[in-house]
Amino acid sequence: MSVSHPQPDAPHPHAVDSSTERPLSIWFFVGVLMLGCGLIILGQGIYEFWHPGITVLANLHPAFWWGLLMTLFGGFYSIHFRPGKG
Amino acid sequence: MHFVPMPAVLMLASTQLTHLAPIDIAILLLYFAMVIFIGFYVKGATNTSEQFFLAGREMTAWIAGLSFVSANLGSLELMGWAGAAYQYGILATHWYWIGAIPAMLFLSIVMMPFYYISKTHSVPGYLQLRFGESARALSGACFAFMTLLMAGVDMYAMAVVMQVVLGWDINFSMWVSAVTVGAYVMLGGLRSAIINEVLQFVLIWAGAALIPILGLIEAGGWTNLKAQVIARVGDPAYMHMWSTTGSFQSNPMGVHWTGIVFGLGFVISFGYWTTDFLVVQRVLSANSLRAARMAPIIGSAFKMFVPFFVILPGLLALVLLKDPSGHLMQLYPEGSDMVLHHGAHSFNQVLPLMMVRYLGPGLLGLGITALMAGFMSGMAGNVSAFSTVWTYDIYGAYINKKASDSHYVFMGRLSTVLGMATAIGTAYLVRHAASIMDYVQQLFSFFIAPLFGTVIMGMLWKRATKAGGFWGLLAGTVASVSMWEMVRIDKANIRFMILQPHASPETIVRVQAMAENLYRALWSWCICVLVTVVVSYMTKPRPESELTGLVYGATVIPHDGTTSLFQRPAFWAVVVIVVLFALNLWLW
Repeated sequence: MSVSHPQPDAPHPHAVDSSTERPLSIWFFVGVLMLGCGLIILGQGIYEFWHPGITVLANLHPAFWWGLLMTLFGGFYSIHFRPGKG
Repeated sequence: MHFVPMPAVLMLASTQLTHLAPIDIAILLLYFAMVIFIGFYVKGATNTSEQFFLAGREMTAWIAGLSFVSANLGSLELMGWAGAAYQYGILATHWYWIGAIPAMLFLSIVMMPFYYISKTHSVPGYLQLRFGESARALSGACFAFMTLLMAGVDMYAMAVVMQVVLGWDINFSMWVSAVTVGAYVMLGGLRSAIINEVLQFVLIWAGAALIPILGLIEAGGWTNLKAQVIARVGDPAYMHMWSTTGSFQSNPMGVHWTGIVFGLGFVISFGYWTTDFLVVQRVLSANSLRAARMAPIIGSAFKMFVPFFVILPGLLALVLLKDPSGHLMQLYPEGSDMVLHHGAHSFNQVLPLMMVRYLGPGLLGLGITALMAGFMSGMAGNVSAFSTVWTYDIYGAYINKKASDSHYVFMGRLSTVLGMATAIGTAYLVRHAASIMDYVQQLFSFFIAPLFGTVIMGMLWKRATKAGGFWGLLAGTVASVSMWEMVRIDKANIRFMILQPHASPETIVRVQAMAENLYRALWSWCICVLVTVVVSYMTKPRPESELTGLVYGATVIPHDGTTSLFQRPAFWAVVVIVVLFALNLWLW
C-alpha cells in the first residue's frame, strides 16, 4: 500500500467540523446519553425522598442532585446539538 | 506506561460485592443500545480507508483530544491506580502528572507537525518513511501482536471484575463485550471507536466524580483527610509527592526522584504518549494541523484532574472504609493469603468498594456502566489500532500491495473481527494460565521505551540512518527484556539498575515493581539511542532532500493558521505547565 508524500501546505480534503455539520454530532450522542441516565437517576432520587436509601450520606440525596445535574447537562447538549440545527 | 500489575487471580477469592437493581440495568442497557446504534449509524460514513482507519481526518481538536485521553483511561487502570494510591499514597499521582502531561505537550508542540504533515497513517508508517521497511516491519509486527494480547487481557479483566462486583458469569461478560465491541468497530472503524471513547469519557466523569465529592464531605475536607491518613499509616510520606524521594528508603514506593523524573517523566511517559499508536491514532484523526496540536493539550488539561477521581478515592478508602464490625478495613495485595483464603478485599477493589459505599440504585448503575465502558473502550482502542497497523503496515505493505481502496476497507473490517476472535482466545488463555497476564502487561514496557528512542532520533537528528534506526530499536528491546529477566531470576540484581551495586537488602526489598520499570525503561532507551548513534556514524546518511517533512531541520513547519495568542497551542501548553507546576508545589 503506498503512502502519500508530505504536502505540508495542502488543506485536508475532508476538513469538516464533525461536531457541528454532521446530521448527528458526537455531542448530540453525549447529550442523549446523559439526558437518559439523568432522568432515570433523577426519578430514583425523587423516589428516595420517601424511601431513603441505605448508602452512606444518603441523607444528602446524591441521586436527586446528581440526576438533576446530568439531566440539565444532557438536556442542554441534546437541544444545542440536535439534528438539523444550523 | 500505566499498567498496574493486576494478576489473573484478581479478586477471585472475594464474595460478590453488590447486585444491580432494575434501574441500574436500564442504564446499562441504554448505554449498550447507544453504542450499537452508533456503529450502524456511522457505517455509512466509513467507505474509504481514510474514513475507516483515520475517521476521515475530520475530528475537531476537542473530540480528538478527549478521545486521546480517553483511550488511556481504561477501567483496569482506574481500579489499579486507586489501589496504588491506597498502597503508596499520593506518590501514585506522579503517573498522572509528570508521567503524562509533559509528554502530551511535547507531542503537541514538537512531534505532531512531523506526524501530521508526513500524512502517515500510523507510527510504524512513520518509521517506514524515516528508517525504511525493516524498522516498520519490526515495530508493526510487535505492535499488532501486543494490541491483540492487551485486548484479551482487558476482556478477561472486565469479566472478572463483573463476576466479583456483580456475580456475573465470566463467559457471559466476555462474549457480550466482545460481540458489542467487535460489532461497532467493524461497522464504524476508528470513527465509531472515537465517538464511543468520548461517550466513555463523559460517563467516567459522571460515574466516578461523585465518589470523591461525597468522600471529602464524609472525611471533613482535604485538611482533615490528610491528618487522618497520616495518623492511620503513621508515615507523612504518604501525603508528599517530592519531599520524600531523596532516597529509596524514605517513601512507600522505594523510588528515587531520578527514577521519577528521567525514567517515568521522560522515557516511559514520552514513549507511551508520543509513540504508542493506540493514542497517537486519535490525534492523527484531527481535521487540521492546529487541531492536531491542540488535541493533546486539551487532553492534558483533563488528564491533570483524573487523580481527583482515581487517587483521591484510594486515599479516602484508607480512612473511611470500615468492615462489618465498624473497624477500619484493611486491604491486602492481590494473591495474598488474606485475599485468597480469608475473604479479605484487595487493593484493586478500592474503587468498587467506594462505589458500593456511596452509590445507591441508579448511581451504582451509572458507575458500573462507566467501568464497563472503560473496559470496552480499551478493547476497541486496541482492536482499531491493530486493524490499522495490520492493514497498512503488514497486509498492505507485504502481502497485497496493489489492492483497491475498498479491498483495504474490507480487510480492515475482517481484521477487526479476526482480531476480536484472537482477543477472545487470549482471554481464555489468560483464564487458564494466570501468569500470562503479568507477562502480557510487561510486553508494552519492553517495547515502548526503545521505540521512543528510535522515533525521537528519527525526528530530531538528520544524521540517523536506516540501519541505525533498526539496530537501535532492536538493541533497546533486547536490552529491556534482558534486564527484566535478570531481575526475575534474582531480585537482588536490581541494584545494578538503580546504580547502587552495594545496596543493602532493605533497599532492594523496598524497591517496588513500579520503580523497577522506570529504571528498565531508562536504560533500554539509553541503549537504543547509543546504538542508533554508533551505527548511524558507521553507515551512509540519507540525502537531506529525502528527509523533508520527516526530520527537524530538514522541514519547514507550515503555519497552523492561528491569528491570535489565544489560538496558539504553545500558549495553552504554557498555561497547562504552570498549573501542573503549581499543583506539584502544593503537594510537594
